[in-house]
Amino acid sequence: MSGQWRCIEQLERDPAFLDRAAREFPMLAEALASERAGTPGRRQVLRLFGAALAMGGLAACTSGKPSGVLIPAVRIPPGLVPGQPDHYATAHVHAGYALGTVVTHQMDRPIKVEGNPNHPSSLGATDPFAQAEVLSFYDPAREAQVMNRGQPSDRQHLLTAVADARAHMAADKGAGFRLLTGTVTSPTLAAQIDRLLQTWPAARWHQWEPFSRDNALKGAQIAYGSAIDVVPHLDAADVILGIDSDLIEGVPGWVRFARDLTSRRNPTRTPHMSRIYAIEPAPTLLGSIADHRFVAGPAALHETVMAITAAILHGGSTASAPPWVQPLVDDLKAAHGRAFIHAGPDQPAELHALIHAMNEALGGRGSTYDLIAPVAHRAEAQSDSLAALVADTQAGRVTTLLIIDSNPVFTAPGFAEALQCVPRSVAITGEADETAQACTWSAPMTHAWESWADARGHDGTATILQPQALPLYGGIAPAEAVALFTDPFPSPVLALVQATWKPSFGGDFASAWRSALAAGVVSNTASAKSDAKLRPEAARATPATPPSGMRISFRPDPSLSDGRYASNPWLQELPRPFTKLVWDNPLLIPPALADRLKLRNGDLVELSVNGRRMTMPVWMQPGQAADTLVAWCGNGRRVAGLHAGFDLYPLTGQNATATVNKAHGTYRLASTIHHNLLFPDISDVVKHATLQTFQTRPNFAKEVERPEIYHRHPPGPAQWAMSVDLNSCIGCNACVIACQAENNIPTVGKEQVEMEREMQWLRIDRYYEGTPEQPTTFFQPMLCMHCEKAPCELVCPVGATVHDSEGLNVMVYNRCIGTRFCSNNCPYKVRRFNFYDYGGDQQRPAVSWNPDVTVRGRGVMEKCTYCLQRIAAARITADRENRHVGPQEVRTACQAACPTQAFTFGDQSNPDSDVVKRKQSPLDYELLEDQHTHPRTTYEALVRNPNPKIAETRA
Amino acid sequence: VSGESLMAGKVSPRVDDPVLLEGPTLGSLTDRISALALRERAFIWWWLALLPTGFLTLVLIGSIIWLFYAGVGIWGIDWPVMWGFAIINYVWWIGIASGGTFISALFYLMRTEWRTSINRIAESMTLFAAACAGIFPVLHLGRPWLFYWLFPYPNTMGYWPQWRSPLLWDFYAILTYVTSSILFWYLGLIPDMASLRDRAATRGKQIVYGVLAFGFRGTGRQWRHWHATYAILAAIMAPLVCSVHSIVGLDFAGAATVGWHSTQFPPFFIFGAFLSGFAMVIVLILPLRRLLRLEQFITGRHIDVLGRLMATSSLALTYSYMMDAFTTWYGADAAERTMFVARTTGMYWYIYWGTILLNVALPQLMWVRRLRMNQMIMLLVSVLVVVGMWMERYEIVVTSLHRTRLPSAWGNYHGSWFDWSTLLGTVGFFFFGMLLIVRLVPVISMSEMRAMLLKKQS
Repeated sequence: MSGQWRCIEQLERDPAFLDRAAREFPMLAEALASERAGTPGRRQVLRLFGAALAMGGLAACTSGKPSGVLIPAVRIPPGLVPGQPDHYATAHVHAGYALGTVVTHQMDRPIKVEGNPNHPSSLGATDPFAQAEVLSFYDPAREAQVMNRGQPSDRQHLLTAVADARAHMAADKGAGFRLLTGTVTSPTLAAQIDRLLQTWPAARWHQWEPFSRDNALKGAQIAYGSAIDVVPHLDAADVILGIDSDLIEGVPGWVRFARDLTSRRNPTRTPHMSRIYAIEPAPTLLGSIADHRFVAGPAALHETVMAITAAILHGGSTASAPPWVQPLVDDLKAAHGRAFIHAGPDQPAELHALIHAMNEALGGRGSTYDLIAPVAHRAEAQSDSLAALVADTQAGRVTTLLIIDSNPVFTAPGFAEALQCVPRSVAITGEADETAQACTWSAPMTHAWESWADARGHDGTATILQPQALPLYGGIAPAEAVALFTDPFPSPVLALVQATWKPSFGGDFASAWRSALAAGVVSNTASAKSDAKLRPEAARATPATPPSGMRISFRPDPSLSDGRYASNPWLQELPRPFTKLVWDNPLLIPPALADRLKLRNGDLVELSVNGRRMTMPVWMQPGQAADTLVAWCGNGRRVAGLHAGFDLYPLTGQNATATVNKAHGTYRLASTIHHNLLFPDISDVVKHATLQTFQTRPNFAKEVERPEIYHRHPPGPAQWAMSVDLNSCIGCNACVIACQAENNIPTVGKEQVEMEREMQWLRIDRYYEGTPEQPTTFFQPMLCMHCEKAPCELVCPVGATVHDSEGLNVMVYNRCIGTRFCSNNCPYKVRRFNFYDYGGDQQRPAVSWNPDVTVRGRGVMEKCTYCLQRIAAARITADRENRHVGPQEVRTACQAACPTQAFTFGDQSNPDSDVVKRKQSPLDYELLEDQHTHPRTTYEALVRNPNPKIAETRA
Repeated sequence: VSGESLMAGKVSPRVDDPVLLEGPTLGSLTDRISALALRERAFIWWWLALLPTGFLTLVLIGSIIWLFYAGVGIWGIDWPVMWGFAIINYVWWIGIASGGTFISALFYLMRTEWRTSINRIAESMTLFAAACAGIFPVLHLGRPWLFYWLFPYPNTMGYWPQWRSPLLWDFYAILTYVTSSILFWYLGLIPDMASLRDRAATRGKQIVYGVLAFGFRGTGRQWRHWHATYAILAAIMAPLVCSVHSIVGLDFAGAATVGWHSTQFPPFFIFGAFLSGFAMVIVLILPLRRLLRLEQFITGRHIDVLGRLMATSSLALTYSYMMDAFTTWYGADAAERTMFVARTTGMYWYIYWGTILLNVALPQLMWVRRLRMNQMIMLLVSVLVVVGMWMERYEIVVTSLHRTRLPSAWGNYHGSWFDWSTLLGTVGFFFFGMLLIVRLVPVISMSEMRAMLLKKQS
């Protein structure tokens, strides 16, 4: 008899089969056992087999890969209108924290992310990571296969292994079991973890984020005796002091904080402009918009901050401190109840404690910030947590390790060796990353858009994440993965999530559930204010004096975070805010060091941290303290990660004293700013002034009216225009990725960027004014100006770029033959050319493109269209309803994504539109006005509010 | 001058040479020149020269095929320097072409005697230089297969050219120029083709030259018509050579771009065109005079006048360079000044100063009679002027674009391998074409020479 087919009676007698069945399908085993015992169970066995078959068939239906060719459904599903987008709320979860988003669908496929206006962390805006999620979702390199020791396996075998682990855990109460996750805010996942730890009391849960906020946590523990989260209200703060702060670039909720902060930065809209001080060893986004930015290396920073602390907390003298400290302290004190101080995660815990004390002393609690119980579930010091795990592992105390959505093999030096001591390790990860390869088992994790989940924002507000699409590659949801270790048949993830919320939704669960999904937030879930009392220890905390010498600061790559986005080409090619580097992470060195070692950008150096050496290129960063090096971690992934950059994690985690020696050779780095010049005065491009100047001369940005020979006005019903507020732009890049996603902009790769052929329609120009040691930074978003007298239109021989009746400078791709004269004649250089077939070379499935926007072919010029497709959609809607397009009806992608509302777009012929109001601002100016192009995009000049008592600190 | 010394090619040019050395009669003149085209076997040097130029022609064809396959990304052009070698080469070649037209058309209208023995070489030069120039506007396009959209032809797309663009007029200008250059060249050739037909030894050559001669039999009527047509074409060509160069200049001046936006560009480009055209004529006639033993027909007088023309046009060009610097300095545009400083002291400084050295300083040597009569020096100067004119176009195209108004868009540019292979390919193709002309067509206009001789004899 062939071994392939055996009758059930035979199977019944096979002990190996019975054993396996018992582990995989306990119900089937029971049925078989009852059969053996003579009870009539045979029918039930068959029924179970039948059900399995049917479910197998179902599974086969739902795990289809997106095909290259898009075939519309023959029978359109009910409710689906072709060409009509749908929107579903969800959230982008980054390092545990949710940023509420709304995903736009076309014909049931997600194609664009927008912020969720209901979500307190978003208020309708997003960060670049959330924007880029759509590309990650469709990434063909996502993990698709259960692997066992490097060999393809399947889910059934994995479940068998899990069942085996459960058996062991039953025996030793989970003593050999460890769970490793990132920060967890998800109530459902937290409930599953808690249940796991209750079921197996000896099991342990560890958390690890490579760039944790351990110091802030420990600082809170010193100051308040327990972990606590700070929720700043920067719109209420008159004076803000950032100490090496990532307040508007990295801290959970920064998108919201940036909005609040910049709401007080434009003197034409706020009666009382705030003042921002930044003391920092290396440029931060907060420092870039600060009114006073003081460069201070670790030692100088320590001294200065201690002087400030002494003055605020103990009335000490600042005589020994730099001269600007006393005015700063006076300013903070004068703004009692309206001041806020923030320190970055690199600063020691004691300093965080001191800042808690100072903030309380300055009376900000309750007005400029609130304290809440930590949003993260069981917040703990993660570096200690991981160290404990490694110690346990090396001691052989760990038999099963479950890693969910974390990549410690890449991010934690030494973890890979420790992992080898674990006999059974299971990695549930989104991509086949370093950890997945090093574990004995790895399985694809469902993408956040493929399964039910929940997560909380920076203030505790919960969002229920609904699936946006059927799983592309199958996969296991995090909550399901945890549940499997307690329960062989966990409820579906939807049921787990619903179970979490059932108690709080009360009676009418269905409608509460539906409204939570529709709104994208669960109402009234923000954490209550904590009434923790400041302990006297806080004011007495004494941070250790940092050792002298060259210090290296490891920071997440501004575009890739800790490396989790390294496989996303949009983010790899996203110019980093200050350096504008793409696809690489050189060592950032201060100008003084470059002078001393005669280093130029791209020269190789030997970097040595605690005896570990590494040869890598350098890049000079103006405004970086002379004794500080900055190293971005996250690039240089060994698997996945698009083979870009350098892996700096091996150097992390220890004493951060570094030495740098010049090595031989150079390395080619690609930056989208090709000339890193410092200008004595850039005010002909970025107009700027102090608040004092603005008050005496509000029209300082206006130029002399020049005579016009002729000026024709387009006849259309709407006149589209944009205003960009330079007071708001923090250079965060959310708009750049939003534009890339909306407009099907291809990435071109490092080599092509090196050849100066990047394609982003919207770029953020960065200018430095002053000296390399103490530069002033300016960001200026640059996109098509839609000139009323557009120089590009005149020179095109085939009329491929023309003006429409609504004042848009439109590009007719089909008509373009690629003379490139338009680009030469564009004074703003906002046109991009397809030197190769970049669009066709993109490694993304056809379904992921925005169907409303043409994918441009080789040899065609392209540029910003003011999101013409959105205008067209609004026009169609308005036409159907027989009305004009409303003043605020069209929002461009950059405008929608911008955390600080720097962009305003609308119909300038409609007096109700915001853009008209913005253009009436005295700060409004046309870039290169002397060129008489009459751009429809204008800027609001930058006003800074320096402390008059601090004389000339901005050299 | 003895026939022997002529055959040995030992006749040194002298400033006071007449345009035609003593000796030839009407018959012997026609015999000698037609023999060059009709001889059975080509010279050894001809074959030796054909090899590298033929190879470079193949390189050109290969580069073009790859360009069409892969796209203009194979070149070094970038953002913001969107124009590169294609435009540089185009302007360079069209400038060279114009020198030939200038000699053959303008000096024909002025009844200048010395023009007669070199106009065929000059016109042939125009033909191939214009051919080299003519391919670049098409190669330059991002989508070259759609170049015909520049024509205002009726179509279902409702498409019509954009008449305000200088590029469109440039397309028509070059099209007109190439067409009329071919016609002018060919018209002048017709009586000579008839001579070759009559002297051809083989049936095949008789048929080929006979067809090309268009039935020209030398009747009085035919001569009258031929003279009238030739004069009319010359009268068209002379202003055309100025208009085509003005349009090329307007391609730049019509843009609001830094470094281009200047009213002096049309005459500036014409001056440059003449300088490079005269230099290239010298580059061609000096070796041909020696290799084809044409000392009798191309004398010291020709060399002298060409040398002085080159020096004169160099002075005119110097004036334009000075004006370029002056208007930049005198004007109020900071971006123009920034660009000019970058052009003269930045990473492309050697281009600018090379241009000055080769186009301004070097041709001034030609004012010295002794140097003018030294063929090696003159050849060297002419070759360097041709190179200098290429550098001038590089300076105008690249250095203007690499410093834009917004400092954020400043960039660099370097020609890629394919840029150079295409450039060298056209150089090869040009000389390849000239070699074919030398072999197959009378290098000196026999009919006009005979007319001149008759006039002298009478």
